Amino acid sequence: MRKTSKFSVYLAHICKYVFMIFFVCIAVGPLLWAFLSSFKTYSEINSSALSWPSSFNLENYKAAFKYAPIAKYFLNSVIIVGCSVLVTVALVAMCAYIISRFDFKLKVVIVLLISASLMLPAQAISQPLFAIFQKLGIFDTKIGLIIVYSAMGIPMSFFVMTSYYKTIPMALEESAYIDGASFLQTFLRIILPLAKPGLVTIALLQFINTWNEFYFALMLTSGNSARTVPIALNYYMGTFANNYSALFAAVVLTVLPTIILFIILQRQVMESLTAGAVKG
Amino acid sequence: MRTKNRGIWIALFTIPCMILFAIVYAAPIVTVVYTSLCDYSLTSGPVFRGIKNFVTIFNDEDFLYSIRNTLVWVVLQSTFHVLLGLLMALVLRRKPRGWSVVRTAYMIPNIIPTAATGVMFTLLLNPSFGIVQPFLDFLGVDYGMVPNLFGNSRYAFWTVTCTWIFYSGFNTIIFLAEMGAIDKEIYEAATVDGAKPWQLDRYITLPLMKNIFGTCVTLASVAMVSQFDIIYMTTKGGPGHSTLNLPIYLYKAATLENNFGKANAVGVVQIVIGLILVLLIQRLFSEKKETGRVRQ
Repeated sequence: MRKTSKFSVYLAHICKYVFMIFFVCIAVGPLLWAFLSSFKTYSEINSSALSWPSSFNLENYKAAFKYAPIAKYFLNSVIIVGCSVLVTVALVAMCAYIISRFDFKLKVVIVLLISASLMLPAQAISQPLFAIFQKLGIFDTKIGLIIVYSAMGIPMSFFVMTSYYKTIPMALEESAYIDGASFLQTFLRIILPLAKPGLVTIALLQFINTWNEFYFALMLTSGNSARTVPIALNYYMGTFANNYSALFAAVVLTVLPTIILFIILQRQVMESLTAGAVKG
Repeated sequence: MRTKNRGIWIALFTIPCMILFAIVYAAPIVTVVYTSLCDYSLTSGPVFRGIKNFVTIFNDEDFLYSIRNTLVWVVLQSTFHVLLGLLMALVLRRKPRGWSVVRTAYMIPNIIPTAATGVMFTLLLNPSFGIVQPFLDFLGVDYGMVPNLFGNSRYAFWTVTCTWIFYSGFNTIIFLAEMGAIDKEIYEAATVDGAKPWQLDRYITLPLMKNIFGTCVTLASVAMVSQFDIIYMTTKGGPGHSTLNLPIYLYKAATLENNFGKANAVGVVQIVIGLILVLLIQRLFSEKKETGRVRQ
């Protein structure tokens, strides 16, 4: 009796590790393969898929930089994502605070509108946005994408932030008011510093979602002036159609910064994503 | 809460948010619904035509296929994909050796741009230099010609599905966070009472995951209703209509045909399907919770 149970414990252990290793391989394997292949020469890539690169030459990276303005796309992404994070965090910090603290007539309407847009498919509203942006003259500009991304981040950050504010006791503000502090002073000096962890959460959430955003960038840009990194890949697929070795380098260049950032900040990133999913 | 000039502050703090919201969400939604009932293209402005666009799309075989594919992906993603995430969380919950490395590695595909995933798989499964041939050689299968997994309508649907269905790291961390919040004393009490490890999971962990499971299913379904990036980067809906879904169909109507009225009619259908799914899933999971209460 005891022997069989010991055996089954071992078996369970083995199954568990096989399961974990299998999914780690599936998750990381393609990336590693692309990484290794990015150092291979064109003929090496064509001759064998699984061979080791003969040397770590950077020709493919040079080609990727030469044929496409990668640095510019990165700069675009940094500007667009950076601004949209700032705008979303500022607007949501204000709006969610009011919703979590005050009762007023339109409150229900605001909450309802925001929660309805949480599940809205991006494609459904893309054509009207395209038309509106062309009319406003912000099609294919960074401003245009910043506006869309900032708005896109509102629903999820809003719910994360509202529930965060609710954890801050209202007595703090009440005593501040009794001491004669104004509304703005109370918000800036007392509430915002306490809400910092929540603000970090929504900033990260917004960063990840917008850094990877593809569809609006595809619909709302047409030239190099506002192309972001993910959309640059689409462009590479066209230009490097016959130069696969450079395409490998381009993929690695787009993926690497995200992975490095994730590994450095993984605890916060995971917390943010979880908060976004659970509260949103 | 009371403060001086209450109304003014409420207005000042909410209006900026609402303006942005109006530009990006409210105005487009109104436009989508209205122009879906119009003849509207790049060259001619919206002219009201009733339900003509809807009649057109529902008579289009490609559109029906795109709905079918979308729904199949919704079902697969909200069952297999979410369950895989749950299973991984159950394995990692007991913190076996190397669990945090596994968690991080498994999360990486969910963190990189989906467009990059698409390009990567295009390269990986390329018939001439990808891993398909070495893999078939390894298995000892002689195919004559290496199959083009994205370019052959026999394989394309399942190949595309494989580029996302196994990557459930996002669900795993959500489940792990929820499992971490369970009171340890419950487990201790059950262990003292002689419960086996699998019984702990079966009778304590899993029942407590019901709500969050509903959340994950909702998120997975919504993501599939608007799944675009990877399909666009790999097959663009083809070959034929084998990997066509609603977003791709809509994109093609808007950009290739420049038929905005039709595109927006598809948009309306997409919104409605998304809403129905969300309501359905919410009902499914809230009812289950109530019957659970009755039994208690």
